[in-house]
Amino acid sequence: MKTMMKNLTDVPQGTRVRVRHLQSLPELCSRLRELGFCEDAVVRCVVNGSRQMICEVCNTRIGMHHSIARTILVSSYE
Amino acid sequence: MMRTMPTPAITTVALVGNPNCGKTTLFNALTGLRQKVGNYPGVTVEKKEGIVSSVNGRDITLLDLPGTYSLIASSPDEQVVADVLLGSLKNTPVPDAVICVVDASNLERNLYLVSQIIDHGLPTIVALNMMDVAEQSGVRIDVRHLSDALGVPVIPTVAKKNKGTDDLRAALLAGPAPSSRAMQWTLPETVQRELDELSGMLSAAHKYRSVVAHHTALLLLSSPAAPDEGRTDISPEIRAHVRQDHEKLDFLGIDRYSVFIEARYKWIKQVCAYASSPSLSTGASLSDRVDAVLTHKFWGVLIFFALMSVMFQMIFSWAELPMDLIGHGFDAVSARVGSVIPPGDVHDLIVNGVISGVGAVVMFLPQILLLFFFLSILEDSGYMSRAAYVMDRIMSSVGLHGKSFIPMLSSFACAIPGIMATRTIEHPKDRLVTILVSPLMSCSARLPVYALMIAAFIPQYTLLGVVSLPGVVLISLYALGLVAALAMAWTLKKTFLKGTSLPFLMELPPYKMPSLKSTAIHMWERGFIFLKKAGTIILGISIVLWFLATYPKTENATPSERLAQSFVGRAGKFIEPAIKPLGFDWKIGIGLLSSLLQREVFVSTMGTIYNIQDDSAGSMREAMQRDVNPDTGKPVFTALTAICIMVYYVLAMQCLSTLVVVRRETNSWKWPAFQFFYMSALAYAVTFGVYRAGLMLGY
Ligand SMILES: Nc1nc2c(ncn2[C@@H]2O[C@H](COP(=O)(O)OP(=O)(O)OP(=O)(O)O)[C@@H](O)[C@H]2O)c(=O)[nH]1
Ligand SMILES: [Mg+2]
Repeated sequence: MKTMMKNLTDVPQGTRVRVRHLQSLPELCSRLRELGFCEDAVVRCVVNGSRQMICEVCNTRIGMHHSIARTILVSSYE
Repeated sequence: MMRTMPTPAITTVALVGNPNCGKTTLFNALTGLRQKVGNYPGVTVEKKEGIVSSVNGRDITLLDLPGTYSLIASSPDEQVVADVLLGSLKNTPVPDAVICVVDASNLERNLYLVSQIIDHGLPTIVALNMMDVAEQSGVRIDVRHLSDALGVPVIPTVAKKNKGTDDLRAALLAGPAPSSRAMQWTLPETVQRELDELSGMLSAAHKYRSVVAHHTALLLLSSPAAPDEGRTDISPEIRAHVRQDHEKLDFLGIDRYSVFIEARYKWIKQVCAYASSPSLSTGASLSDRVDAVLTHKFWGVLIFFALMSVMFQMIFSWAELPMDLIGHGFDAVSARVGSVIPPGDVHDLIVNGVISGVGAVVMFLPQILLLFFFLSILEDSGYMSRAAYVMDRIMSSVGLHGKSFIPMLSSFACAIPGIMATRTIEHPKDRLVTILVSPLMSCSARLPVYALMIAAFIPQYTLLGVVSLPGVVLISLYALGLVAALAMAWTLKKTFLKGTSLPFLMELPPYKMPSLKSTAIHMWERGFIFLKKAGTIILGISIVLWFLATYPKTENATPSERLAQSFVGRAGKFIEPAIKPLGFDWKIGIGLLSSLLQREVFVSTMGTIYNIQDDSAGSMREAMQRDVNPDTGKPVFTALTAICIMVYYVLAMQCLSTLVVVRRETNSWKWPAFQFFYMSALAYAVTFGVYRAGLMLGY
């Protein structure tokens, strides 16, 4: 069975997930990848607020608006 | 005896790396300079130069550059880096070598830029910085393996503690060799072929150096659309070829945007696996909990405003004692000098012009030092970026985003670094709006004006047992500046700078304990700048002002009448009709005129004219409190006038240096002119409103 994909916005605080796919404008995708959100990267959700969230990827924290986080598809990390 | 081969002379070296990885700290350690360092991304936004001296006299020019995640720039500060490396920045030679600074605790992402740099073919040294942080978080890096895998020398450093900087200097002076390896990451074959072909065409058609050709080819292939006729630097044949390439790759189902990035990351993963052990996975840590509170949608905003309030309250109350001491010091000097020099013009010039003018400004040194103390702690702790994050909600309601808040916060120190800091903003219109509104934030030059007016005319009530009325007034002035900036941003975004801004996306650096030493150094530097200004520009203006306030001399008149008849008196009287609606008389008019290009001059002007006018003992503060308008019989300054003056200073654009920087950053006189007029009009209108309202309420 294929693992379930969900948006990064739906990840509860403190959970780790794996980035599967980015689906946004090319420039934004490139920037996200350069920041470490490339396919297969492990992301930990530090704080998930009502319109923004903080994630940790490659040991750095990135703050982002939900509208960006929504374009990052992730699956659970085992 | 062995003879070493002479290495090719290296004269210019660039420091390149991700934001906040310690480039400037390293730059300062290598050159002995003191460029600004801070714990948030985007501290350095322009190129800075320094010299690394060597024993054999072959000095090297080191360039400190802004931080960047990639050589494919997405904001003006990042563009500087790409331009320097490609040699397309005016007055800057292409560097002979690059020191690529890497944050060891964040190896994987940092290596992305390293791989781009290595592709550039310049001799490269990797400075593996923040080794202390990496060790603490359990990341282990095998330096030799890393150097093997990258094909360039790697030198571990802890720039903040000056560790490894000698090795780095030695490696630099020895002259790093150019990397011998070709591109180390592998692209899918079709893509590689197109890339090579295109870069070959570019070299042939435009005589590009191979590096530039390669970079341009990469950019063209990965850009969303083929270049149109607007790109005159690219020949029509190549434009057509790029279009074909795009079609071909799209047809083959290759994602042109991600293929290059993914190929690099694939290589990076191999390098990391070979040279480092992954960090021990950490669960929820203390800084998680801190972040949860500081960035909370409600508590976060509350904490931000509470912090600001405490800061300004402290600036006011802590400064009182040292300020009085400085005041007494100047009085003593003035009395002493006054008794030595025989009465006459020289006596008056020294006592009334120089000592009171300069003294009036210098008295506010403690406030300035405290302001920079708090700002320095904000910058070093890692809170700046969190403030941007929490303020994103408020900022987006006026059409900007949280990143614009960092330039605005920096403008509490001075609008010039604030305006420079807008270079980190990707969206040109957002950047322009931020430039236009940042000078509304109260800068340190306004602080002496506020402090003078508050100390003299706002009574020392204590509200609720803890907060003092003067403190509250000071906070309100800063708040007024912020509200005005937000309102203006909203208006501009709604009218002629329309456009949607990109959503918030920003790195949040780790929290750090601010170091006492760097805070002290920062305060000392800013204090020194303030004193230097007082000892040069303000001194000069005070002398000129004294002459203009003393001549032409009217015989047999009271000092006040004499002042009225002097050059500045006449000038003040001339503009009085225009400022009367604001509740200002001609003496305040003199202050407004003299401070037109620099705000603190208002304070020195008051110091000078009140010393000329009022010979009796006592401070200028008392002289101002005593002053009565002979026409109306009412005091010249009331609490209401003081508030009107302060409101005027919050909103008016009285800073030539800021206008010059805005001109440079926007490349036209149109925007600084607009800024000058809108701010002056706003200042006039709001002050008028406050004055009328005050009168109506019976003040
Ligand atoms: N623990 C530790 N901190 C460091 C080290 N080097 C620099 N820092 C700190 O890291 C922060 C960023 O340093 P900067 O030198 O301003 O970084 P930068 O790369 O110039 O940043 P930008 O100009 O914003 O791109 C500061 O708080 C420094 O004190 C280091 O080796 N170890
Ligand atoms: Mg820097």
